[in-house]
Amino acid sequence: MKYNNKIVVGILLVLTLMVIISLGGFVSAVDTQNVCCEKTTTGLFCQDSTADKCVSSDGFRQAPTACRSTSFCKLGTCYDSEKGTCATNTPQRSCLEGNGTWSATNPEQCALGCCVLGDQAAFVTLVRCKQLSADLGLYTNYNKGITSETQCVLSIQNQDKGACVYESDFEKTCKFTTRAECSGTSSSTNATGVGKSTGIFYKDKLCSDESLGTNCKKTKQTTCLPGKDEVYFLDSCGNPANIYDSALADKNEYWTNVKTKLESCNPNDGNAGNTVCGNCNYLLGGYCRASTGLLGRATYGDNICANLNCAKTQNGKAYKHGEAWCVYTDTGALGNGNAPVGSRAYKHICVNGEEVVEQCADFRQEECIEDKITSTGVTFSQAACRVNRWQDCVAQTDEKACTNADRRDCVWKVAGKYSVANAQGSAEVTGICVPRVPPGLQFWGIATTNTAPPEAKLLGQAVEKANDYSDEARAICEQATFKCTVTLSKGLFDGSNDAKCKDEGILGGGGSDDKCDCWDDSKKGVKQSWIDKNTAICMALGDCGPKTNWIGSKGYTDGYKVSVADVAETKSSGGGLFG
Amino acid sequence: MSKNYKEGFPYFVGMEKRLKTRGQVGIFVIVAVVIVAIILVIFMYPSLKSVVQGPLNPEAYLKDCISPGVKATIDNLGKHSGYSNLNEGYFVYDGEKIKYLCYVSGYYKTCVNQVPLLTSHFEKELSNSLKPKAQECVNSLVDEYKSRGYGVVVGSVSSESSVMLNKIKISFNSPMTISKEGVQTYKGFDIYVDSQMSELLSIAENVVEYESTLGDSETTYYMSYYPNLRMEKIKLSEGTKVYKLSNIVTKEQFIFASRSLSWPPGLALDQAGKA
Repeated sequence: MKYNNKIVVGILLVLTLMVIISLGGFVSAVDTQNVCCEKTTTGLFCQDSTADKCVSSDGFRQAPTACRSTSFCKLGTCYDSEKGTCATNTPQRSCLEGNGTWSATNPEQCALGCCVLGDQAAFVTLVRCKQLSADLGLYTNYNKGITSETQCVLSIQNQDKGACVYESDFEKTCKFTTRAECSGTSSSTNATGVGKSTGIFYKDKLCSDESLGTNCKKTKQTTCLPGKDEVYFLDSCGNPANIYDSALADKNEYWTNVKTKLESCNPNDGNAGNTVCGNCNYLLGGYCRASTGLLGRATYGDNICANLNCAKTQNGKAYKHGEAWCVYTDTGALGNGNAPVGSRAYKHICVNGEEVVEQCADFRQEECIEDKITSTGVTFSQAACRVNRWQDCVAQTDEKACTNADRRDCVWKVAGKYSVANAQGSAEVTGICVPRVPPGLQFWGIATTNTAPPEAKLLGQAVEKANDYSDEARAICEQATFKCTVTLSKGLFDGSNDAKCKDEGILGGGGSDDKCDCWDDSKKGVKQSWIDKNTAICMALGDCGPKTNWIGSKGYTDGYKVSVADVAETKSSGGGLFG
Repeated sequence: MSKNYKEGFPYFVGMEKRLKTRGQVGIFVIVAVVIVAIILVIFMYPSLKSVVQGPLNPEAYLKDCISPGVKATIDNLGKHSGYSNLNEGYFVYDGEKIKYLCYVSGYYKTCVNQVPLLTSHFEKELSNSLKPKAQECVNSLVDEYKSRGYGVVVGSVSSESSVMLNKIKISFNSPMTISKEGVQTYKGFDIYVDSQMSELLSIAENVVEYESTLGDSETTYYMSYYPNLRMEKIKLSEGTKVYKLSNIVTKEQFIFASRSLSWPPGLALDQAGKA
């Protein structure tokens, strides 16, 4: 009986332990299940993660599916009724937490129109227009019939501008403005500054025109105006006059009528650093800025056309403001199936006289492309980081598909007849399609999976799910495993005792595959030329083979292995294996 | 000759030096006494202070008081993507916490907007950060009025900040009655501080729009439209992009992070399939 009891107790203990273990396993499985978190513990909204990284308090939801399949993480538009701005691709919860109004589709309030702000314009929502107008002390002038930004900008360029003459403190004064503002229809304070009373508008006249009889006189002061490239003279009432030209500072005629940019000094030049002419041209590298010791001093006034161009850059060349170019300074060639380990492309930009560096994506997942535009003898360089489409290169079995630049970035390497692995098993090819710029591979260490946000590492949080990247690197490089089977034979009438590689067509029958390309009879081993040809293909697949790194250092190992093995003794055959 | 004379009669030379020093000390003492006397008179008779310093303009006083605080707060908020106390959803770059305004985990996917009401959020943070300073400035204004012999009655003080085009507006809601010979009543004061933060915030919002729709943004495009903008995009290995926007003239900056349409090393097919 006692014995039976012991058995029962033992069974119960075992069952209890099994239940505990299985429950533990279940909890662990639930924790690491891939789910969509409405909010993660790291404070990010709508991320695909594991269940243990989801916030479950405050009504935050999670579902065992991808976020794009859930209703609570559906992306929509978030409308800010205070500012009149709309943000797309926003999850509902992140919008509501900021007191915004969320809708799955673009709401009516987010429709854009043309907002006229004095002599400038903005393509914004109605609420935003009202706010911008209020900021500038203007009446709201909104046209929802204009449906593009270009149309909007063009619409204000045709506005009449001129002198608006009115009386203030029993004195005849003037404001240089638009006809609409002068008539009191576009500004809440209007030109006269006294409610709705209007002034008399003189189109294309300057306030300093003596014939108007105002108290505004010419001065030698200058200013920079919002949205304008040039340096402008100022009159004694603070109104902008014509473009700064030191030679015409005292000429009454220059202070009478509005002169266009083309009628002003040096119209075809950027006028960067010009002390006597303020006709700056932004596209040619000149822009109105306050004079400093570095920029130089204008003959009159405190403003000058600053030089935005880059006189000398890292590559020793001069570039214009806004120009971008590609830079590759790592040791070793890039392109045509070559790229040193750790190398990367860079885009350089000339901005405000400064050379700004922008990296293309690491692991050569982006490449830098560059082109030049020439117009009226002026060359302008442009560059961009573009995705490196290397992924399906090795799957291409004909040259045309391989070199189709619309689809992929690959090169065709003619490499003799090979058997390459593909989805169907293997295929015989005469050339190999490889990435033009081989991708970088993470062939070291353990990396986090996509479910762990990168900041998890930075915040020192435990990273539970891990994946060995080096497995993938190995799999990619192993595609460059080549085999060459040769037949070594010794003829009856050969003088030597050594077996030699023979083309089977002579004695053995069958077609010639140039198999003897891989065998060196004198060395009694694999030919160096065959090794070199295949290491080149190996290196073109990624960070594989006997590569050097971006500073020109070789790896710690050879990066490849050549082995020779007898396949069949009876016919004295031998084979080379490369991998 | 004179050199020889001095060398030959060291006693007279030393006496001459002592006499000179005594004279200078005497002048310094007189000047110091006069300055102290003037200061004492000004402080003992507040009405004299008004005469010396001119009438007190409360708005100008508050602007002088709060402007350095506004600039420092904008500087700090700009460095941390508009957050004064960032404790979640951030990336650490150069030792500074930077908020992800747009984020997606994994690869090959575009990001999700994390802070859709960025400008409003910035305003809230600015208001909260400036509240103590605003209270301090109003108190200081009241003290200044009192020191000039005014009677001041002040209600509860609150302040609000708004990011406007080319400026920041700080509204002091502080009902105040100032009396001396007459009575002046103020409901509050609006102070404007020049700032280009509005432009930087709207550019950041636009970049997030591009990042969440197309996966990336083109910096040269922005820099050609905004002549005073300097835009830097730093691409990090794990896919995070750090954007540094700054105004060349005002030196204001706004830094934020985004992770969108990032590419793994190799193919990472096992990870692409997930989620």
